[in-house]
Amino acid sequence: MKGSANKWMQHIPEGVQDSLPDECYNQRIIEGNLRRIFHLSGYDEIDTPLFEYLDLFGGETASLKQEQMYKFFEPGSRIMVIRPDMTMPIARIAATKMKNRPLPLRLSYIGSVYRYEGKRQTRQREIAQAGIELLGSKKPEADAEVIALAVESLLQLGLSDFQMDIGQVDFFKGLIEEAGLNEEQSESLRHLIDQKNSLALEMQLKELSIPADIKNNLLRIPMLFGDEEVIQSAMALAKSERCTRALQNIDQVFRLLEKYGLSKYIAIDLGMVQSLNYYTGMIFRGMIRDMGYPVCAGGRYDTLVSEFGVDLPATGFALETRQLLVALERQKGLKPTPPTEVLFVYNPMEEEEGYARIQKLRSEGIRVEVFLPDDSNKSDEDYAREKGIRRIIRLRDGQMKEVTF
Amino acid sequence: MITIALAKGRLADQTLDLLEQLGIDCRELRGDSRKLIFTTDDGSIRFIMVKPSDVPAYVEYGTADIGIAGKDTLLEEGRPLYEMLDLKLGCCRLAVAGFADRKNSGITNSHTRVATKYPNITRNYFAGKGETVEIIKLNGSVELGPLTGLSDVIVDIVESGRTLAENGLEVLEEIGPVSARLVVNQVSLKTKRDEIKRIIDGLRELLEGEANDS
Repeated sequence: MKGSANKWMQHIPEGVQDSLPDECYNQRIIEGNLRRIFHLSGYDEIDTPLFEYLDLFGGETASLKQEQMYKFFEPGSRIMVIRPDMTMPIARIAATKMKNRPLPLRLSYIGSVYRYEGKRQTRQREIAQAGIELLGSKKPEADAEVIALAVESLLQLGLSDFQMDIGQVDFFKGLIEEAGLNEEQSESLRHLIDQKNSLALEMQLKELSIPADIKNNLLRIPMLFGDEEVIQSAMALAKSERCTRALQNIDQVFRLLEKYGLSKYIAIDLGMVQSLNYYTGMIFRGMIRDMGYPVCAGGRYDTLVSEFGVDLPATGFALETRQLLVALERQKGLKPTPPTEVLFVYNPMEEEEGYARIQKLRSEGIRVEVFLPDDSNKSDEDYAREKGIRRIIRLRDGQMKEVTF
Repeated sequence: MITIALAKGRLADQTLDLLEQLGIDCRELRGDSRKLIFTTDDGSIRFIMVKPSDVPAYVEYGTADIGIAGKDTLLEEGRPLYEMLDLKLGCCRLAVAGFADRKNSGITNSHTRVATKYPNITRNYFAGKGETVEIIKLNGSVELGPLTGLSDVIVDIVESGRTLAENGLEVLEEIGPVSARLVVNQVSLKTKRDEIKRIIDGLRELLEGEANDS
């Protein structure tokens, strides 16, 4: 092999991956299954541009920081970013091009998003997602619908041993409101609660001059996870109307899921308090045993679309399809791409008939490839064996002869 | 089965003392074995021995469900983990150290050079004060930075302060206390709740008991 003049020609950047045939084949099966599940549930698929203005993703309710986005510039244009998220473009479309459609809007998407998580985070920068958004309904039924759809998606893909954790960010927001804390204080508490760092939380709370019962409630949030009883124990803590409403909401969502027969996949975690300027109510996270990080994330974002001047409560989720592929391989193994069924061999003199015969086979749904001999004198049988092809059809003088092995 | 990532060295021994008090059989780990993976006889716990700074990575990816690491390592790595217990082992502090008399003197001191094993902690700490510094990453004997003129100050963990004092250096600014923490993978805490809870609750009781005794 010749040495390459530029070694970078052979490499791809950090954080992105190639998908070779067997992996790509399985990835497309997953996407196909999800597309079908979403479609059958009444969701319409849409597609949006790979890059858009930074203005779309960098607004007030942005869940991602500018530092996490791939930006590019050119004179005469505003700053553009490669989409870091699919929810914002969908909110934009819902509030503009589809604003006169009957509500609720049910939209789905399958595509990749691009995020930079910093040099220390070795996570992938290209993230393959499939997700849905349900816009125009505030009801707990809408939240239960999206959580149920996430559960059904994992089940129908053939996954087991997974769990959806449901939380309610308004419970935390209610406590913060009651305590009358400023943004800096509440952000530092939020961070510690999200890490379930009870000790540091206790130290921090000691320094704040807020009523003891509120302190005690904040201190208990990180441990408010487990089965549905958690909602009841939180009820005993809640005094403000906002907290009570939040808990009633999550209770309603849970009861609905129970009626759908899905409660065994559901757990509660009131200590999930991420992306608070984005989420406004129920949030959830899907986890599969022995996969280190969540494969699904979603929740309610009622104020996001109003940034476009249209009040539209909304809820939805995204699945990380590449992680699902890894989970499927670990749980039950993946099948390689099926080999070509027929290797078709014909003489240069019989191209017309050969081509017609091949097309006829293909029209019957048979996977056919044409034998293209190279200079190595490799026989059609050798080639078929190497590639795992079990049938050879040879066309000679108008006659088809078949060898199977 | 749950997997625990332990940092090789003194901290591992102290951690094993605690785990043994919980009735976990750690005898195999006590020897001089070069083995990196140990499983308890009943097969309930697997230990993996890793470099201290690698503990957060093993736990973030879920390769280990639980990890024991210093707060300094956790801050430096900055990975999303549940930090659930302070084991009160290996207590020390993170600090900026240097020559006290040379601080803020000199004409070029608007530009500070900092030698450290912790570039991320250093960057965040000085950024928090609105200062931009030049960070020189070193892998050991950081005190040499100011002594040789490689850097103006250092950011490092300080235990007794003896090494600093013997080299004429002193603590200029405190960044924060450091001790060993128990961290848990965010998915494992949920999917292996009972097994993990048993260990954490047991350790917490032990630690609280010790705190009350002293």
